[in-house]
Amino acid sequence: MEQIGLSHIAITTGILLILTGLWGILTQKNIIKMIIGFSLFDTGIHIVMVGVGYVEGKTAPILDEAVQLKEAARQIVDPLPQAMVLTAIVIGIGITALMLAYALRLYQKNKTLDIQKFNDLKW
Amino acid sequence: MDLLTRILFTILGLFIIVNWGLLMTAIMRKLTARVGRRVGIRWYQPWINLVKLYSNRNSIQHGVMFQLGPVFRLLGGVGIVMFMPLIYGSELFSNFSFAGDLVIILYIKFFGMLGMALGAGEGGHPYSAIGVSRGLSQVTTVELPFTLAIIALAVQYNTLSLEEIVAAQQGGIMNWTLFTNPVATLAALLSMLGIFMHSPFNLHKAPNEIPIGPPTEYHSSYLGILRTNAAILHVIEAILFMNLFFGGATSWPILIVKTFLIYFVSIFVGVVFPRFRIEQSVSWFLRVPLALGIVAIILIL
Amino acid sequence: MVEPIYIVASGLGIAFLLGLFRKTGESLPGLIMLLTLAFMTFVSGQWLISLMFEGGTPQYTYTAGFKPPFSINLLMGQSEAVITTMVNGVGLLGGLYLLDRLKAQGVNSMIVFLLLFVGLNVVVMTRDLFNLFVFLEVSSVAIVGLVLLERSTQSLSAGFKYLLATALISGILLIGIILIYQYAGSLYIDDLVRANLTAVKGGMVAVFLILIAVALELKPFPANGWGLDLYQGAHPGLGALVSGGFATAMVFVLYKLLPMAGGGWQYMMATLGAVTFIGSNLLGIKQGHAKRLLGYSSVGQIGLLMIVVGLSQHLGEALTAIACGLLVSHFLAKSGLFWLAGIIQKDGLRDWAVLRKKPFLLVLFGTFIFALVGFPPFPSFFAKWELIMQLSAAEGFAWAGIVLFGSLLEGIYLFRWLGYSIKLDHQELPSFRLPWQKILPVGISGVALYILGYFATPIASGAGSLSYLPLAFIVLVFLLDFLPARVKNVLSLAGMAFYGYMIMPGLYENDGLRFLFSIIFVIGGILTLLPGFAYTGKRRGFYPAALLMFAGLGQLLTAETLLQFFFAWELMTVGSYILIIRGKRSMRHGYTYMLFSVGGAFLMLAGFGIAYATSGMTSLEALGQVTQWAGWASALIAIGFMTKTATLGLHIWLPGAHAEAESDVSPMVSAILLKAGVFGLLLLFISMGAESAGSKPLFYVLGWLGAITALIANLTAVFQEDAKRLLAYSSIGQLGYILFAFAIMTHVGWLAGFTYTINHFMYKAILFLVVGGIVMRLKTHNMYEMGGLIKRMPYSFIAVLIGIIALSGLPPLSGFAGKWLFYNAGIEKGWYLQGGVVFFSGIIAFLYLYRLIHSVFLGQLKDRHRTVKEISPWFLVPAYVLILGIMAFSANPEWFLKPFGQITAPYFPDSQLTWQSDGTAVGQLGYWNGTQVMAIVMALFVAITLWLIMLNRNAKKVKQFNIVYAAESPETPETTHISYNLYAGYNKALGVLTRPGITGLWNWISEAVTELADQVRRIYSGNGQTYVLHVLTYVVIVYLITTGGL
Repeated sequence: MEQIGLSHIAITTGILLILTGLWGILTQKNIIKMIIGFSLFDTGIHIVMVGVGYVEGKTAPILDEAVQLKEAARQIVDPLPQAMVLTAIVIGIGITALMLAYALRLYQKNKTLDIQKFNDLKW
Repeated sequence: MDLLTRILFTILGLFIIVNWGLLMTAIMRKLTARVGRRVGIRWYQPWINLVKLYSNRNSIQHGVMFQLGPVFRLLGGVGIVMFMPLIYGSELFSNFSFAGDLVIILYIKFFGMLGMALGAGEGGHPYSAIGVSRGLSQVTTVELPFTLAIIALAVQYNTLSLEEIVAAQQGGIMNWTLFTNPVATLAALLSMLGIFMHSPFNLHKAPNEIPIGPPTEYHSSYLGILRTNAAILHVIEAILFMNLFFGGATSWPILIVKTFLIYFVSIFVGVVFPRFRIEQSVSWFLRVPLALGIVAIILIL
Repeated sequence: MVEPIYIVASGLGIAFLLGLFRKTGESLPGLIMLLTLAFMTFVSGQWLISLMFEGGTPQYTYTAGFKPPFSINLLMGQSEAVITTMVNGVGLLGGLYLLDRLKAQGVNSMIVFLLLFVGLNVVVMTRDLFNLFVFLEVSSVAIVGLVLLERSTQSLSAGFKYLLATALISGILLIGIILIYQYAGSLYIDDLVRANLTAVKGGMVAVFLILIAVALELKPFPANGWGLDLYQGAHPGLGALVSGGFATAMVFVLYKLLPMAGGGWQYMMATLGAVTFIGSNLLGIKQGHAKRLLGYSSVGQIGLLMIVVGLSQHLGEALTAIACGLLVSHFLAKSGLFWLAGIIQKDGLRDWAVLRKKPFLLVLFGTFIFALVGFPPFPSFFAKWELIMQLSAAEGFAWAGIVLFGSLLEGIYLFRWLGYSIKLDHQELPSFRLPWQKILPVGISGVALYILGYFATPIASGAGSLSYLPLAFIVLVFLLDFLPARVKNVLSLAGMAFYGYMIMPGLYENDGLRFLFSIIFVIGGILTLLPGFAYTGKRRGFYPAALLMFAGLGQLLTAETLLQFFFAWELMTVGSYILIIRGKRSMRHGYTYMLFSVGGAFLMLAGFGIAYATSGMTSLEALGQVTQWAGWASALIAIGFMTKTATLGLHIWLPGAHAEAESDVSPMVSAILLKAGVFGLLLLFISMGAESAGSKPLFYVLGWLGAITALIANLTAVFQEDAKRLLAYSSIGQLGYILFAFAIMTHVGWLAGFTYTINHFMYKAILFLVVGGIVMRLKTHNMYEMGGLIKRMPYSFIAVLIGIIALSGLPPLSGFAGKWLFYNAGIEKGWYLQGGVVFFSGIIAFLYLYRLIHSVFLGQLKDRHRTVKEISPWFLVPAYVLILGIMAFSANPEWFLKPFGQITAPYFPDSQLTWQSDGTAVGQLGYWNGTQVMAIVMALFVAITLWLIMLNRNAKKVKQFNIVYAAESPETPETTHISYNLYAGYNKALGVLTRPGITGLWNWISEAVTELADQVRRIYSGNGQTYVLHVLTYVVIVYLITTGGL
C-alpha cells in the first residue's frame, strides 16, 4: 500500500470542500450564504487541481538557488497545473464578484435575499 | 332493324305498359278496398281520372323547374322502359337495351325521383319538401339490400346484361334465380316493398298527414303526367324483378301474369301492415333485408 | 489576408481602449464597437470565402512561437470560418440592434459586449482545452453582465440563476480538465483525440466530465431551467445573442471535443440531444410566453444539432452540410424572432397579432417560422432532408423517427403562433415604434434565409436541376403586392398560362398521367383564378400564396427526383396554408390543416428515406426499387398522401378549411389541391407495380378505408346546415371513392378512378364556384337562410343542377361513367361488400345534393333577397366552361376514357375495356354506350317537354305563397321554407354514425399532449437551487447510464 502523502491530503480536503460548497449552494436559502457555498466549491476545486499536479519530492517551479537550471526539469513539479490554478482563481473571483453584484442589486430592488422569493419565472 | 321500327315498337310496348299499369292499379285498389270491406273504385276509374286531368283547362305554375319536374319524372319512368328488354327472345321488344346494361336501369330510376323532388321543391309547399325528405331518406336504405342482391346475381351469372341474365334462367322453373339463389331473391323482394313505396313504407306521401306529399302542388295535366308515370313505374319495376329473379317473360301474357303477382306481393304486405315512421323504415331495411343481402354476398365469396 | 489572431486582438484591444472613452459620450464608442465587430466579421468572412471557394488552406496560429502542447494555438479551418462568421455576424447585427440600450448603459456595457464576442471567437478557434475554459468563462460572465441591460427583478433573478448554474458547470469542466491533464499530459485537443483516453477508467471520467459540461452549456432538457429563465427574463436582444451566438459556438465546441470519446459516447450525446429535442419541443406546446417559447424552441433546435453531432460518423461527407444547414437556419431564424420580440414588446403569443400593423414584419415572422420547421426554400429544408436520407441509409430509422417527431412537436406550437399573428384581432393593441437599426438586423436575417436557401440546394441528394424560376416569378408578384387585385390577377393568369405553355406540351408528348393532372392543376388553376376579378381592393398576400400553391402543384408533375417531389409538395403546402387561413374564421382550420400536412409530409419523408436507403437512388424510380421494408415504406408514404386526400381518420382538417376559405379559394383547394394527394398515391401505386402478395393487404385496407370514408363523409354531409361545409364533406366522400377505385388495382378500376378524379375536379369546382358566388352575395353560408333563389339566380341554378346530376352519377351525364366502371371493376375484383358500401354512399349523396339545391334555390324566397342579383359573372364563366367539359365527357365518353385507358395500359395490360366501332364500351360483365344513352335521353326529354308545353301552354304563373295552404296564404317564407334539419328522421336512424368520434379522438390526443406538457414543465420550479440540483442530478444520471451503472 502506498503511503498517504501530501497530495492525497490535499485532494481529500479539496473534495470535502467541494461537497461542503455544494451542500451550501443547495440548502442555504440566503443568497449570500449560497455565494459562500460557491466560494468553498471553487476553492475545493483549486485545491484538488494543485493536489493532482503535485509530485512527491519535487519543489516549486520557481528558478532560484534551490533549483539548478540544468536540473530543473527533474527537480520541479509540472508548472502547468499551478498556472491553471492561478487563472482559475482569478476567474473564480470574477464570478464571485459578479454574484455579489447581483445579490446587491436583488436586495436593493426587493429588500430580501431569500432565493425562494425569486421564482417568478418558471414553467 | 332500322331506327324507326325500333321506335315504333318501343312506343307500342310503352302503350301496353301504360294501360296494363292503369288496369293493375285499379285491380289492386279494388282488392284493397274489398279487404277493408269497402266497395272500391270501378276498374276503368284510372282512365277517367287521366282524361279529366289532361283536359283540365285551368292550370297554374310556379316556375320553370316546377314545370320540368314532371318531365324529369316521366323521363325516369320511360327511360327505364327504353333500356329494359321486355320480352325475352323478341328483338322487337328489347327496346334500346343494347345501349346500356343493368347499371343504367338502376341509375336512370333516380332521375325521375330527382326530377320529382326538384319540381316539388319549386312548388314551395312545405309538405312537398317534407315528403321528399322522407322519400329520399327511405330510398337510401331500400336500395342497399337490392344492390347487394344484384351484385350477387352479377357474379352468379357473370354478367351485368339483363338479356343474358334472363337467358340464363330459361329452361324450366328451377333455373329461375328464385330457386338458384333464394337468399338474394328474398333480400331483393324485401327491398321491393320499399321500392314500390306502398304501406308500410309510404310515409313520403302519408295520405292523412301531408295530403299526397311531393306532388301536393301539382294538378291538371302535370298531375296527369305523374299518374301516367306511376302506372309505368309499377309495371316496369315489376318487369325488372321478373327479369332478374323470375325467369323473364317470353310473351306478353306471361309478362302480365308475372308482373301482377310480383306487384301483388307489395299490396298484400301493405294491406296487412300499418305505416312505419321514417326512422323505423330506414332502419328496418338495415336489419333483415340487409342481413340477407350480406349473406347473399358471403355465399358467392 | 488578415490573420485570424487579429479577430481576437482587435476585439480585446478595442475593448480595453474603450475604457478611455468614458468621458466622450456614448456615440463614438458605440460606433467604434460596431466597427470592431464589422472588422471581426470581415476577417472571418474573408477566411470563409477563401477556404470554401478559393481552395485556401486552414491556418494554425501559434502563440509565443512555441508549438503545441507548449503553447496555445488557434485554428482557422473551414468549420471555424463558418462558425466565427456566424458568431461575428450576429454580434454585428445584435450590436446594432442593442446600440441604444448599450448607449444608455454606458461604455462599460460595450466593453462587455465586445468581450463576449472575443470569448466566443476564441472558444471556436482554440485548440487548447484550458484556453477554451477561460474564454468560455469570459463569454458566460459577459452574458450575465449583459443581462443587466434590463434591470427588472425578473431579469436579475434569471441572471443570478444562470450565473449559479454556469459556475457549477465550469467547476465540473475544470475538474475534467485537470484530470485530463493528469492522464494525458497535454491539453492540446489534437493530442487528446489521439490519446484514446477512454481506455483508462480515470481518463474516461475526465472525458465524461468535459463532455457533460459542454453538453450542459447547451442547456439540455431537463437540466435547463436556468437557461429558459434567462431567455424569458433577459432583454430579447440578449436572447438573440445567446441563441444565435453562444449556442452556435457551443455546438461547435461539442463537435470539436466529441472525437476525444469513442463511439458509444457519441450515441450518448445523440441520445441527450434526442431527449432535449423531443422534451423541449413537447413543453413548448403549453407555453404562452413568447420569449420563453423561443427559449424552448432554441433549446430544442440545439438538441437536434446534438443529435447530428452525435451521429456524425453515420452522416459521412454530408455531415458539414447538414449541420451548417440546420445551424444557419436556426441561427438566423431564432435571432430574427428574438429581435422581433424586442421590436413589438409583446410577451403573450396572442398579442403578436400586432405584427399585422406592419405587414412586412408578418412576412418576416412567417419566414422565420417556416425556416425553423424546415420548409423550402430554406437551408433547414435541404439539411433535414439530407439528414433523414443519410440516417435512413445508415439504417438509423429510429433516429430519423425521433428527428421527425420532434420537428412535428415544434410545428405544433410554431404554427399555432403563426396562426395567432395572422388571424387574431389587432385593433385594440397599441402600435410600436420601428427604429431602422432594429428593423435592419431582422430584415437581413430574413433575406439571408432565402439567399442561403438558394445556395443550400445542392446539400440535398437529388436536388438536380431544381427550378427556381416559378419562385422568382412569385417573388416578383409579391413585390408588386401594392398593386390592385385586378392587375395582379392579370399578371397571375399570364404567369399560369405561360407555365402551362412551358410544361404541358412536354407532358402531353411523354406522359399521359402527368398530362391529365396538368389539366387539373394548370387549366383548373386558370379557371379558379378568374373569379379573382370579382374582388376589389388589393387582396394582399393572396396572389403570392395562390401562385405558390400552383407552382408546387406544377412542380409535382415535373419532379424527377424524390427531393424535387418533396420540395414541390412542401411549396404547395405553404401556399395552400396561407390561402386557407385567409378565410375570416379560418385560424383553427388553417392550423389543423398545417399540422396534418406537416405530419403527413414527415411520414412521407420517412418513407422516402427507406426508399433511398434500400434502392440507393434519388430519382422517383426509387419508390419502385425498395428491396427491404417495402411494406413500411409504402404504408408511410401512403398515409402521408392520405392526409392530403383527407381519408377518414385524417380528414378532420378538411371541412373547416374548405368551408371557411374565401369564395374563390374553396374551389382551388377542393377541386384542385386534393388531387395532389391522388397524384401522389398514383405515383406510389405505379411504382409498387402490380399487386403482389406483399402489397395485397395494403390495397385491401385502402379499399375498405376508401369505402368507409365515402360512407361516413357522405352521411355527415347530409346533416350540414352550412352549404360550403356540405360540399366539403362531399369532397371527403368523393375522395373516398377515388381511393377505393385506385386501390382496386385493375385496368377498369383505374379507369373508374380517373373518371372520378376528372369529374370531381369539374363538378366540385362548379358547385364551389357557384356557392361561393352566392355566399359573396348573401353573406351567409347557412342554407336555411337562403331559398327560392332560382328566381333571382337562374344561371347559377342551372350550373348547380348540372353539377349535382353529374355528381350523383345519373345518366346521361359523365358521373354515370364512373358508376358504371365502378360496378364492373368492383365485381370483377370481388370487392362486393366494399362495393356495396360505396354504392350506399352514392345513394346517400342524393340526400345532401337535394338539400343543397332545394334549400338554396327552391322553396320560398326570403324577403331580404327579393332584390339580390345574379352572382358575379367571374364566378359563372369558369363554371360554365367546366359545364362544357362535363357535357363533352357525357356525350363522348370515349374521348376521355380511351386516353385514360392508354395511361393505364402499361401498368395493367390485362382485362382491358374494349371499344366497339359504334362507341360501346364492353367490360367483362357489362356494356354501355354513353353517346347513345345521351341521344336517347335527350330525345325523350325534348319529346316530353314539347308534349307538356302543348298541354300546359295556358298555365298561369302565380306569385309566391299562392299554394294549397288550407285556402290561406303562409305568413313568412321562414316558416314555409322547409330546410332546417331537413333530414330529422334520417338523423334519428343513422345520425349515430356521424357523431364526431374521430375528431373527438384527435382532440383527446391533443389535450393529452398539452396536459402532459403542462405537467412536465412544472419541474421548472423557478427556484435557482432546484435548477442547480437538476444539473447535478443530470450529471449523475448520465454518468451512471454511460458507465452502465444503471
